[in-house]
Amino acid sequence: MSSPLLHLPAHLTPSAALHISQQAPLLLQDQPSLSLPFLYSSESTEKWAIYEHLLLACLRTGDDKSARLCLERLSNRFGATSERVMGFKGMYQEAVAEDDATLERILKRYEDILVEDPTNTVGLSFTLAVVTTLANFEEPIAKRRITLLRSMPKPEEAISALVKLLDMSPTDAEAWSELSDLYLSQGLYQQAIFSLEEVLLIAPNAWNIHARMGEVIFISLNASVSANDVDVEKGLSESMRWFCRSIELCDDYLRGYYGLKFMSGRLLPLLSKNHNGASTSGGAESGSNLQFSLATVQKLNQLATAKLSEIVRKSSAGDWAEYGYGRAEVIAARELLDRDKQPMER
Amino acid sequence: MTQAVAQTIHRDPALVYWVLFPITVVMIMTGILRHYATVLMQSAPKKLDAKGTREQRSLLRGINLRINASVISPQSFQARKAYFVSSCHSGAFLKEPENRGKPPPNPMTDPAGMEAMMGMMRGNMAMMIPQTLIMSWINAFFSGFIIMKLPFPLTIRFKSMLQSGVATQDLDVRWVSSLSWYFLNLFGLQSVFTFILGDDNAANQMAQQMAQMNPAAAASLFQPGQDPDKLFLSEAENVEVLEHKWILDGVEGRLLKDLA
Repeated sequence: MSSPLLHLPAHLTPSAALHISQQAPLLLQDQPSLSLPFLYSSESTEKWAIYEHLLLACLRTGDDKSARLCLERLSNRFGATSERVMGFKGMYQEAVAEDDATLERILKRYEDILVEDPTNTVGLSFTLAVVTTLANFEEPIAKRRITLLRSMPKPEEAISALVKLLDMSPTDAEAWSELSDLYLSQGLYQQAIFSLEEVLLIAPNAWNIHARMGEVIFISLNASVSANDVDVEKGLSESMRWFCRSIELCDDYLRGYYGLKFMSGRLLPLLSKNHNGASTSGGAESGSNLQFSLATVQKLNQLATAKLSEIVRKSSAGDWAEYGYGRAEVIAARELLDRDKQPMER
Repeated sequence: MTQAVAQTIHRDPALVYWVLFPITVVMIMTGILRHYATVLMQSAPKKLDAKGTREQRSLLRGINLRINASVISPQSFQARKAYFVSSCHSGAFLKEPENRGKPPPNPMTDPAGMEAMMGMMRGNMAMMIPQTLIMSWINAFFSGFIIMKLPFPLTIRFKSMLQSGVATQDLDVRWVSSLSWYFLNLFGLQSVFTFILGDDNAANQMAQQMAQMNPAAAASLFQPGQDPDKLFLSEAENVEVLEHKWILDGVEGRLLKDLA
């Protein structure tokens, strides 16, 4: 069968989802026939993976009928008590729910299931929209419940449920990154950073998480009111380091270059202002040498600018998708570069 | 030695239809049957309860902390180290904290261990019983039959492999006895089963024996009879002696050297 159906990318673009769900009626036409088990093992895992992906795509595009069909096929095959099927069923019900009362009922049912079997944390990835590329499929009902709580929106309850889940299963990168996202939305920056560190401990080479770390540090820096120049400089340097590491891990990562350029651009005036004072005193106070020299930052800035303009140039030729960059990302990068061209305005 | 005249044995052509084919077909059918029987008899893998999961994954988290310590800052690492070590020493991660220090339960009386052993027994039985039956069937009806001649010459070493059950010294090695044909089928049908049943079939006993010899792939991190408390303590020690180095130190220099 078609390969895009089989290997669903973690981050599905809306158009791709639409494309997949449009194939649904065609794929669902052929009834699953009784297969001869002797010579013919058509019961492949791929078939059911396709049904699952189809279900998700249909839910996203609002094709509830096809989704219903997929769900029925899955539950006919695996039984309605299978954890995964239960998770999918919950997703379907959430999608077709019309008012808050229905959602409350679904939530209640999740809780009932969880009381019966506290390990039922069937792993459907949280939401389709969450910025996580680490999707493992474990523990669905507990996660469905958290997702629902989050979208209702009851973030505090979602956080406490997640913390409970993570206490039981502390090696779940997906849950940690979700938790970090939730903490961030609540303005609890230290906790968000802690959660991201946990993700990194599980997936040490995830360049996107490194970049995310830089972003979160920068956001927390912006949010703190009392930050003086030294703190700001320290925060910016740290954030910049994370972006550097992100680029080191993936040397075409647009988000990493964007962050590097942005942070170094912020850092440059600060450094040149108190160049003499801070660079000598700051290095000694923290154990690791957090200070950058002015020259290094300038070089990094130039590097990021060069790379970003290259990416933008290539992408504006129209083949941005070919390089794997999102349209919005490229536009943002171009905007950053343009801003740099008229520095006098600011 | 003179050029040996090719031995000829006048065989009833019916031997091919009534002995050679039946043995082959029976062997293939048993393999397929065994595959389906194994699939049906398989008990679903037992699910760990919440506390067991927590125990295992907490240990994994500790291991992750040790292996990937370099990605987090020294302060974060120190905090995590302190937490992990103190929790290990207080037994906070354990499934049954009250059982600390007690000797591990005897695997023979442990119900969980019993169940695993029963599963293994059943697998063995599904393999042994049909093989015993078939072998006695061949021995009872076809013992001492010469049923085919290989179309290529072989050295004398193959005699014991190809002519078991026929104790004739001067017989050319190319003649194959019924019992040997059975053994050849027993060991040689793996690819046939793969063709018929797919890759992960349970038809062949060789595959099963391999699986038994390598049980390390089993999901459980803890072997039955191993004390999780000891594992935690040793892991805590490993984390404690770790020399931490932050990978972000000097990253800008590396980056500039690599890319500029």
